[in-house]
Amino acid sequence: MTDTETPPSDITRPVPHGGRSMRVIHGLGWTLIYLGVLTLGFVVHELVITTWFAQQAQPELTAERLAQWAQTDITDMVVVPTTTANQGNENTTGTGAPGDEGGSAQPVILKVESEPELGTAFAVIRIPKLERLRDGWNVVEGVRVVDLRNGAGHMPGTAMPGQPGNAVISGHRTTYGQPFHELNELDPGDRIEVETAIGTSVYEVREIHIVAPTDLWVTEPRQGAWLTLTTCHPKFSARQRYVVVAELVYGPNYDAIQAMS
Amino acid sequence: MITRIWRLLPGPLSVRVAQAVVLTLVFLVALHFFYDWVGNWLLDQGGTVG
Repeated sequence: MTDTETPPSDITRPVPHGGRSMRVIHGLGWTLIYLGVLTLGFVVHELVITTWFAQQAQPELTAERLAQWAQTDITDMVVVPTTTANQGNENTTGTGAPGDEGGSAQPVILKVESEPELGTAFAVIRIPKLERLRDGWNVVEGVRVVDLRNGAGHMPGTAMPGQPGNAVISGHRTTYGQPFHELNELDPGDRIEVETAIGTSVYEVREIHIVAPTDLWVTEPRQGAWLTLTTCHPKFSARQRYVVVAELVYGPNYDAIQAMS
Repeated sequence: MITRIWRLLPGPLSVRVAQAVVLTLVFLVALHFFYDWVGNWLLDQGGTVG
């Protein structure tokens, strides 16, 4: 339609009169209305639709996790506890070979599970203190965008939950089910449970940090068995990371890990 | 704007309705990916470090 054409009806399609300035105001008004609708759509998409999809995916992930547990290879590794007299000697912990004479105490078993494929649900995280995680949320292998759409994600290359080292699990805070929305409500001493194919490992919160997204040191291996949970901070922003570090206090590998320390 | 696009669609009414449905679906899918991309970088990156 050209500028010289007359609109079909002032009722169905009102066109402002008064020249160029009115047309500009009219156009600006409609632009703001479109932007408002787009912004509202963005908020609804991020807070409601992504969460709905993530929650709908949970039953399917649970079934996938149970199937994964049935297929997981669990290897029993013999660990001979370090004796007091031998402390300080790097060779005093058993290597797992039968008959290893790393120490004189009773050997204990370290259960080691095979690593799952990227994108596969393999664990469930429960935090009794947090309402959202009281009943558990599936953990998938990987922290790619696609991995984190349905559940929390375990960072490949870090220890598996319940194993020696530092197991890192990341999760959304405001979108896609918001599994770690209330992570800031955790205090030192609170318990975190992670169930995998080897059983349930219980961790106790020891440290809380707020770091930059590039602060990789939070993912570095640690002596003993640790769990590091990371999420975006502050809420509704990806500017920083809220990090909760917890230490293993109970689980199928607790005795073995204590023996290795 | 929607009225203008509707008027630009060629063909009889049934064809224009079909085109409008396809265009709406394409727009919604594109919007979903755009929102996803913006949300991932602006609002929540899933807490990943590194």
